[in-house]
Amino acid sequence: MSQTEQLLKKLPNDIGGSPADRIEQTDHVLEPWEKRCHALADVLDFHKILNTEEKRRGVEALGSEMVGKLTYYERWIAAFAFILFQKGILTPNDLERKMTEIQARYSITTRQ
Amino acid sequence: MSSISKDTSAISTLGLRVVKATGEEPTFKAGDSVKVLIRYPVGHYRVPTFVRGKRGTVEMLIKPQGINNEEEGFGRNAGLKGHYYRVAIPMTELWPDYTGSAHDGLRIEIFETWLERI
Amino acid sequence: MHSHDHHPHDHTASADKSDAPPSYYEIMETAVRELLIEKKLITAGEIRRQIEVLDSRTPALGAKIVARAWVDPEFRACLLANGRTACEEFGITFYDDTQLIVLENTDKIHNLIVCTLCSCYPRPVLGLPPDWYKAKPYRSRAVKEPRNVLAEFGTAIPEDVEIRVSDSTAMVRYLVLPQRPVGTEDFTEEQLAALVTRDAMIGVIKVNLPNEITV
Repeated sequence: MSQTEQLLKKLPNDIGGSPADRIEQTDHVLEPWEKRCHALADVLDFHKILNTEEKRRGVEALGSEMVGKLTYYERWIAAFAFILFQKGILTPNDLERKMTEIQARYSITTRQ
Repeated sequence: MSSISKDTSAISTLGLRVVKATGEEPTFKAGDSVKVLIRYPVGHYRVPTFVRGKRGTVEMLIKPQGINNEEEGFGRNAGLKGHYYRVAIPMTELWPDYTGSAHDGLRIEIFETWLERI
Repeated sequence: MHSHDHHPHDHTASADKSDAPPSYYEIMETAVRELLIEKKLITAGEIRRQIEVLDSRTPALGAKIVARAWVDPEFRACLLANGRTACEEFGITFYDDTQLIVLENTDKIHNLIVCTLCSCYPRPVLGLPPDWYKAKPYRSRAVKEPRNVLAEFGTAIPEDVEIRVSDSTAMVRYLVLPQRPVGTEDFTEEQLAALVTRDAMIGVIKVNLPNEITV
């Protein structure tokens, strides 16, 4: 019996009833980019470019390591990128080019 | 085999007879005893493993009908439209060593493809 | 439309005066958004508007609903029959496809809400959920040991009161309608709403009078 079957049979977010620690009643004010990310999810759902369930499925598909290590909105934006690639809406080259451009934009700002 | 007779209903006050679409008539109703199927689909699912194989009671039919969210997760609103049910499952059924009150329970929405009558 | 060459600061961002460089993920978010806008799949205006929508949804909305349900039996009945419709008639629109079931706490039943699989939450009426609601400890333990979870929030529920934990998995969202505290008979609706907290509408605490010690 394959020991890795569980990884396929049980999704990383399926944690109801799993052992867990004491609840830390933490909260944080969303960073502007996190709020923009949430707004982006909603707008994509309105257009059905990427519906809410697809987003959930996309986050799960990141796999247990990323689900465990990325924060909530980091998981969302990573999932969006992959789903948009799968749908042929964006290409990895598009994203790479644009991220480089934005990074350069910021560098220009800090040099001024 | 015809299922037409099962899918028609008479609105007696007006004497009208309508035929219901496939799947329009909900399979379960409030009070029915059900069991969550034991299945292990690969990929996206929305029935947590901790309720699979557990027995409960249908508390209510969710309205309106909705798309099977496990299929919706893969496409642009793709998926079969069907019925979701709010199912009541006692904590003692979920957890053999439950120490709270025997009356404590879970309520969870389950799509029709995951339930069987018992 | 926008030339971004000479406008390094994003126009849809809230004022972010920090000198900290944007994180990898912030850059990714900005890139995805700008690309989708360039492709005319979404507009910057829609994003700006949705940020405003999100900012307008706070627990104060839920508190008003609870207070109205406490003073108006007809509204209470509507709310319990169809949460979404009652909220819409009250002026709280739902921008998504979710339904709302309002769960009434009584002397015999205490309700608690959770989303074990992700973070489903009645956002149109409560705003965005707190971090702890989205994190593993609450999500895994609320369905297994609700009484211990409630105790961590300082809430003790007697043995003869049934606890119902509602786990959202599909299109229904939940709002707990807490019990009205004793001693509030002369309170105005506004005063009542001020007592109702987000955590009481999640069901981890009860609504208490300000000087009451939680049992």
